[in-house]
Amino acid sequence: MAMDHNKEGEGREFTLSQMEEETEEMLRIRYLNRGNAEFQRTGTGFLSLKVGEERYPRVQVVRMFPFTDKDGFLSIRTPDERSREIGIIEKWGDFDEETCQMLREQLSLRYFTPVITKVLNIKDEYGYAYFDVVTNFGACRFTIQMGGNAVVHLTDTRILIYDIDENRFEIPDIGALTPGERRKLDLFL
Amino acid sequence: MILQYELTEENRRLCALAPGEEIYYCLPLDLDLEGRYRKNSFLVMTDRRILVLEEGVLTGEYLIGDWDAIRSEPQIGCGIVYLEGQGRQLLLGRYSARHLTRFSYLRRGMEILKQGRRDRVVSGEYERSCPKCGRALPGTRECPRCAGKKEGILPTFLGMLRPHRARLAVILLLMLAATFVTLANPAIQRHLVDDVLTAPEKDYGKAYLCIFFMLVMSVGITAVNVGKSYLCARLGSYISQDQRQKLFDRIQLLSLSFINERSPGELMNRIVQDTARIKDFMADVFCNMFTVVILFVCVTAYMLVLDWQLALIALAFAPFSVFLSIAWRKNIRKRFHLQGIKSDKMNSSLQDVISGMAVVKTYGQEGREAAHFDGTAEDFSRIQRGNETFFALFYPILTFLLGTGTYLVTFFGGSRTLEGGMTPGELLQFVSYASLMYSYVGWLSNMPRALMNLVTSLERIGDVLTQEPRIRDLPGAKPHPIRGEICFRHASFGYKSYQPVLEDINLTVKPGEMIGLVGASGTGKSTMINLIMHLYEVDDGEILVDGVDIRQIRLEDYHRQIGVVLQENFLFAGTILNNIRFARPQASTEEIIRAAKMANAHDFICRTPDGYNTYVGEHGYNLSGGERQRIAIARAILHDPRLLILDEATASLDTESEFLIQKALGRLTAGRTTFAIAHRLSTLKDADRLVVIDGHRIAEVGTHEELLAKKGIYYGLVQAQLQMQGKKQEQ
Repeated sequence: MAMDHNKEGEGREFTLSQMEEETEEMLRIRYLNRGNAEFQRTGTGFLSLKVGEERYPRVQVVRMFPFTDKDGFLSIRTPDERSREIGIIEKWGDFDEETCQMLREQLSLRYFTPVITKVLNIKDEYGYAYFDVVTNFGACRFTIQMGGNAVVHLTDTRILIYDIDENRFEIPDIGALTPGERRKLDLFL
Repeated sequence: MILQYELTEENRRLCALAPGEEIYYCLPLDLDLEGRYRKNSFLVMTDRRILVLEEGVLTGEYLIGDWDAIRSEPQIGCGIVYLEGQGRQLLLGRYSARHLTRFSYLRRGMEILKQGRRDRVVSGEYERSCPKCGRALPGTRECPRCAGKKEGILPTFLGMLRPHRARLAVILLLMLAATFVTLANPAIQRHLVDDVLTAPEKDYGKAYLCIFFMLVMSVGITAVNVGKSYLCARLGSYISQDQRQKLFDRIQLLSLSFINERSPGELMNRIVQDTARIKDFMADVFCNMFTVVILFVCVTAYMLVLDWQLALIALAFAPFSVFLSIAWRKNIRKRFHLQGIKSDKMNSSLQDVISGMAVVKTYGQEGREAAHFDGTAEDFSRIQRGNETFFALFYPILTFLLGTGTYLVTFFGGSRTLEGGMTPGELLQFVSYASLMYSYVGWLSNMPRALMNLVTSLERIGDVLTQEPRIRDLPGAKPHPIRGEICFRHASFGYKSYQPVLEDINLTVKPGEMIGLVGASGTGKSTMINLIMHLYEVDDGEILVDGVDIRQIRLEDYHRQIGVVLQENFLFAGTILNNIRFARPQASTEEIIRAAKMANAHDFICRTPDGYNTYVGEHGYNLSGGERQRIAIARAILHDPRLLILDEATASLDTESEFLIQKALGRLTAGRTTFAIAHRLSTLKDADRLVVIDGHRIAEVGTHEELLAKKGIYYGLVQAQLQMQGKKQEQ
């Protein structure tokens, strides 16, 4: 009989054997591929998964290395509070194109980090900087706090900007900006 | 926070509201599923339906009664909202992180509507940016700009001077005196040349008198300048001290989340360096500012009266200087900002490494950390060098360009004197005034640098001072002597309100009762303690202390009645005596000894060479963990709190220390309402009741025996710990 993980996490009891079992489970690395996993669209905007006898009505697709290896090592997890790992997808090639497309849809639903392609203007006033930029998702204005950790340097040339609402924006290569745009960003580089 | 955005007539028409149907919540779905920004899409919740409007089209319509709940789920940089029920989850839409908090209120809104109630959920949270002008709100409910409050730099600066009016008046008088003396000196020189030295009759008396007056003037101006500089420096110190105090007070008042969002180095820079810059400005710039401006105006006017043509020649270079100063103002400001930011980074990096020195050494990473610090220090030094080079070139060049005007004046004035159109004395006076004017223009051209330096510091200070503390005394808050009854009523809280840590907590604790809080890590035990200590406020529901809303009790008074013993207690650099006395500075020596005895600390204190005067070092690192713990308990005993918080107070101690501390804690908790957290469940078996927290909610409440009999979560935890102990013993 297939095991349904819909109600996972409810009515848990802590016993040593169960804890040991869970620890073992946690330590295990289970790779998912077209041979052992079957993803399906739920028809309501999400993705379901069948791994062997286990059925998951909804799963979450998580990038394990979102900055250094965006397209490799995806962790497939339950969407509940415990966010238990069901398995790992090492590379896209382990699945057919249709499944890859489904996974990409879920990733684009989960991650939203517009890439800044043009810096139109930056105005700083009373401890805040107001950005007027063009991103790969369209024109956008946002505000960051001048102090604090609003600008994170992922590498020497790649930065991540957090605005006051916790939106994230990325500049993948500062060198690709025009000298004028870099001058505007001077304060944050 | 806005939970009902206005809909256009067109969108309202799409909603096709039935008679009597009302919109309760309307929130923007400002991202489509692919991530494109959009402006005209909303999720609308009426008292009976949920509607999805996308770019002028009604794309979804669902009856509230058909679904169990609406859920909002934070993603990375965005959020999604979906309906749950009928054995499935149905995605409704997506929104940017700006609306994460807003959407988290929908769940409760729908719960209320499903119950047939018609009350609306109201958010007490502030918007982060002004809905009218789009400016960031500095932690305030209303936008200072839109509310018409003065927030410019000049009003801020004048506000700082206000408490020192008397000192300022004396300084202004001295400035006037300096102006008068400076203006009078060249006039006497002219008189000496024209009426005495070049006069046909030699009048030594008059000559001596003129020289005597010139000497008096020189001595006078020196005295006035010394007095002026002294008073300005003092005024600067006072203002700087005022600001330091205000910053420190404000930082103490502000919520922990504000402090946690900023690095310690950055906050220290604002308290120490930015306030020092105000002092420097007062001593170096303000001191001469008015004198120079008045003199510049007077000298220019006087020159125009003496010889307007020559005056215009002299003034020809002044607009050039003004133009240069204005043109470079933004650049100069940016330079100062950048220098400030790099300095913050360097300080934070240094603080980070020093605090974590033990870890650095343990992993042998000294070299890497040194390289990292060198990098940030070099960065700062590079910017500083660049700025210094810039100023070292900019101002001398500017001054030189201005100085060329003096040669022109001497050339044309000399020609006029030779032609007899001007006396030598007048020429001397004119050249003296022209030199004065140029020196003032040169000085004034430095003003943008000094002013921008001041403006930058005032902005950085203002950024902290304008923050409103999230937790503050409500109007009408009163002192309240705590009896000890604590009641949670439907209390919910999350550090980010869209990520609840505790949900719908209901619990009444009787005065004097000891409550043990149990649960896995991250379930919200410490959060519950933070709420009891009123370090944070519940997002929903309420906490009552002896039947009084916690927000109605004066914060300072409330905190004075709470004692806290943590796993790692903070001791201040100072003596054992001062650390124990911190809780109650007026405590007598006998009371301190009694508290130390009750905390089982007296004996080890007496064994140290300096007894109670033993210096504990920074953070108390000269003592062992158990010793630090017992001093913290002595401090809590001396405090005689009505409410006691023990957060893992006996964790990570050896058996003997734990035994001594358990004994001490037993004395401390007697008769006081106590909340204790411990992962080692055996330490909580004496608690009157145990509260098990699981899945953000209270899962079980009862005595140790009751919960064991229930065979629920607590039973499982105890069993697991016993089995683990058994296994260890076997090994």
